[in-house]
Amino acid sequence: MSGQRSAPASAPVAPGASPAGSIYDLGYRHYEGRRHGPLYAAWSLYVESLRSVWGFGRPATAKAAPFILAGLYALPAVVQLAFSSYFAQAVAQGQNIELFAYDSYFSQFYVLILFFCIAQAPELVCRDQRYQVLPLYFTRAMGRIEYAAARLAALATALIIVLVVPIVAIFVGDVLMKPDTFSAIADELPKALPALPASLLGAAGMAAISLAVSSFSPRRAYSAIGILAYILLMEAIPAAIKAVGAGAGWSWSDGLSLLMPVSSLDGANYWLFGSPLPNAFTGNVAAGAYFASALASLVVMTAVLFYRYRRMPA
Amino acid sequence: MSAPTPGVAGAPATAPVVSLAQGADLTIEVRHVARWYGNVVAVNDVSFGLGAGVTGLLGPNGAGKTTLLHMLAGFLAPSAGEILIRGRHPGRDPSVYRDIGLVPEREAVYPFLTGFEYVRFNARLQGLPRPGEAARDAIARVGLSDAADRAVGTYSKGMRQRVKVAGALVHDPRILLLDEPFNGMDPRQRLSMMELLGVMAEEGRTILFSSHILEEVERVGNQILVMVSGRLAASGDYRAIRALMTDRPHTILLRSSDDRALARALLGDPAVFAVELTSEGLSVRTAHLSVFRRLIAGVARGAGVRLTEVIPGDESLESVFDYLVRR
Amino acid sequence: MSLSIRVAILFEIMRVTVRQLLGRRRTLLLLLLSALPILLAVVFRAAGEVSVNRFTRSAFDTVDMTILLPLVAILFGSGAFGAEADDGTLVYLLAKPVPRWVVVMAKAASATLMAIALTGTSTAIAGLIGLVPGGGDGVAATEAMVLAVVVGSACYACLFLAVSLFTRRALVIGIGYMLVWEGALSLLLPGIANLSIRQYALGAASAIFKLPIESSRLSAETAFILAAVLLVVSLVIATWRLMRFELPGGTD
Repeated sequence: MSGQRSAPASAPVAPGASPAGSIYDLGYRHYEGRRHGPLYAAWSLYVESLRSVWGFGRPATAKAAPFILAGLYALPAVVQLAFSSYFAQAVAQGQNIELFAYDSYFSQFYVLILFFCIAQAPELVCRDQRYQVLPLYFTRAMGRIEYAAARLAALATALIIVLVVPIVAIFVGDVLMKPDTFSAIADELPKALPALPASLLGAAGMAAISLAVSSFSPRRAYSAIGILAYILLMEAIPAAIKAVGAGAGWSWSDGLSLLMPVSSLDGANYWLFGSPLPNAFTGNVAAGAYFASALASLVVMTAVLFYRYRRMPA
Repeated sequence: MSAPTPGVAGAPATAPVVSLAQGADLTIEVRHVARWYGNVVAVNDVSFGLGAGVTGLLGPNGAGKTTLLHMLAGFLAPSAGEILIRGRHPGRDPSVYRDIGLVPEREAVYPFLTGFEYVRFNARLQGLPRPGEAARDAIARVGLSDAADRAVGTYSKGMRQRVKVAGALVHDPRILLLDEPFNGMDPRQRLSMMELLGVMAEEGRTILFSSHILEEVERVGNQILVMVSGRLAASGDYRAIRALMTDRPHTILLRSSDDRALARALLGDPAVFAVELTSEGLSVRTAHLSVFRRLIAGVARGAGVRLTEVIPGDESLESVFDYLVRR
Repeated sequence: MSLSIRVAILFEIMRVTVRQLLGRRRTLLLLLLSALPILLAVVFRAAGEVSVNRFTRSAFDTVDMTILLPLVAILFGSGAFGAEADDGTLVYLLAKPVPRWVVVMAKAASATLMAIALTGTSTAIAGLIGLVPGGGDGVAATEAMVLAVVVGSACYACLFLAVSLFTRRALVIGIGYMLVWEGALSLLLPGIANLSIRQYALGAASAIFKLPIESSRLSAETAFILAAVLLVVSLVIATWRLMRFELPGGTD
């Protein structure tokens, strides 16, 4: 324990005499022991962000949006699971019933994921900017990149959970539909396994886009609009140009599909599952290219996010 | 519970009249006004009348001052009772705002406007024939002419307060309602604002301002309304209120040629119940100020002591307020 | 208060509102966004594609009507009052001898005119580049598109102006309306056409020229009537809300 100890002055100094200065020991202690490093700080922020995405640590109304949206996203798969016993009879007779498939699920219900990102990404990055508490973070062990990375990892983790739940529900449903459980698992598992990297890519990709766009405004509403505008416009405009390009014979216009964020994630999904691209994917773009562009989008958006936080005045 | 104000003839016991010039009309009448939010009563059966002059609305935080001011301004409906501004109910008809200037506590809007533009905007919205001139005049009155062409967003807090006041008086209103107007002003600005309020009151306006800083209220006007926990605890001249607080001992400071002898003599009198020899003089506590006043000269002469000073110790608003709040 | 003074006050409020809505960064972004339809038109031209069919479906409907128009108009509509109704700074505007409907009209007009200025001009220029040179129905189609944008701007702006007086989350609600109501639900439930601003706008446009957008279901008369009803209802509700504006007692 360090600190000077000197007698507290008891009587007021007589006027005319020069007062001697003293430092009083008020019992404050310095901490000289071990301190956790930036990784621990980043981990703490990660955990706090993850909780915040789901609304824990905030009033009950904050839990409504994420849970409802996640629930709605999983709902169709869960319904299919609930009806699996009913379908089991049909399957026993040789029919193959599958309303929702692993590879197409995201493309059917991605609106809910979009909504989830629009609702929750601004919550993560806008408030600190709005109330200007960022210096409190950056003057401690955690650096700017660690801050951004922790937020990104948290949103991605939350999205992975959302994306995986219906996959699991479909898996369980499919297994239960078949008469022999163990061979059913052995059958289904390899089909379902690509869902892991697919969900990881989808979650990280959407999280990166959402956070990168949100980080540019301290007001949540504008960030939300920004994400919406980015996704919608990046889907609509290349589609429009493609439509003309096909007629005009521009061969390169097919490649514009690679610019579309959600379609790229879609295509990447199909590629990871090894399924052929459905008809909605016009043009001659290979499925693997979509995977590459989804990956590229993830990298670019993460870089934008980090750049923004490096350059943010705080 | 409100005491009738001495010196104001014909004041009804239930609706005390404050700062009334004799024979003039009441500009603001408040009759048994109450406001509650669910179980919480913010303003509880308040009645008073105001005429020309400056009145301070005093009270600790949470007393209901802002609620009352918002009701007077017509932006909050009373749960009970009625409010009349020059005979009309505020809040029904926007034309009442021609006569009212309101300076609420919240921040001014439109930080991108310059001070002059903001005041002129107010002037235009009032439908004044020459808004630019009126704006310049109002800005000069609050002493912001130098900064008038800078954006309000760059102003300090005191300057923003002043520009709000300028915006509120640009249309020459008969009534001014100000909520904590001296917030954020430095002493010099405060003094000039107080002067301004005094001058405007002389011109016949009814000015009501709320504050919890007693020195401000003391300086500007001596008419006060004291609110405690939503009720009107006292009204009128604060010195007169002090005199009415008979169940509280008064403190008087005496300076004389022989304090100790005087102390000995005073202790003999039943009107005095404590004396204290201090470095400032002789501090005397008495329950009956009027009785003491009559007897002190005689006691001093009898003890052969020459009195040099008699200073009433706690006629300040602070002690009045303190008393009312603790009750 | 004479009429001329009222009009002057209306313009005064409009002037200030327009300044309020135009922040530096925001204006830049919105200008860039509004340039997108023009860019698309240029691309279409370059492709030699001037069929009214293709243009309205692929460019106008997908970009202008579905994304740009609602976004810009809802942004301005909910931003006209902005946070004033919630943080109480609206009192500065209301403590004036100005009838409440004048205040509402001024704010609504500012938001609508700014939305039209951005999206209407961009649509007009896009049409001029993409459609008009092709002759035939190009001119009429362009006029119809601009009319749709004008009607749509007024409806979105006024509706969300009214909403913004009731809740802080008007902008988010607007996004939900765009995505869910006009997006997903109207695909599933055709009856929603009567309650969709998009349909009003497209229907109104058919008074000039029937734009070949399949989902457009309302006749011109119906669309105009419904749009007018929406406008009147929104403005009346907003006025009513202003009359009931209350400043809370505060922490006092």
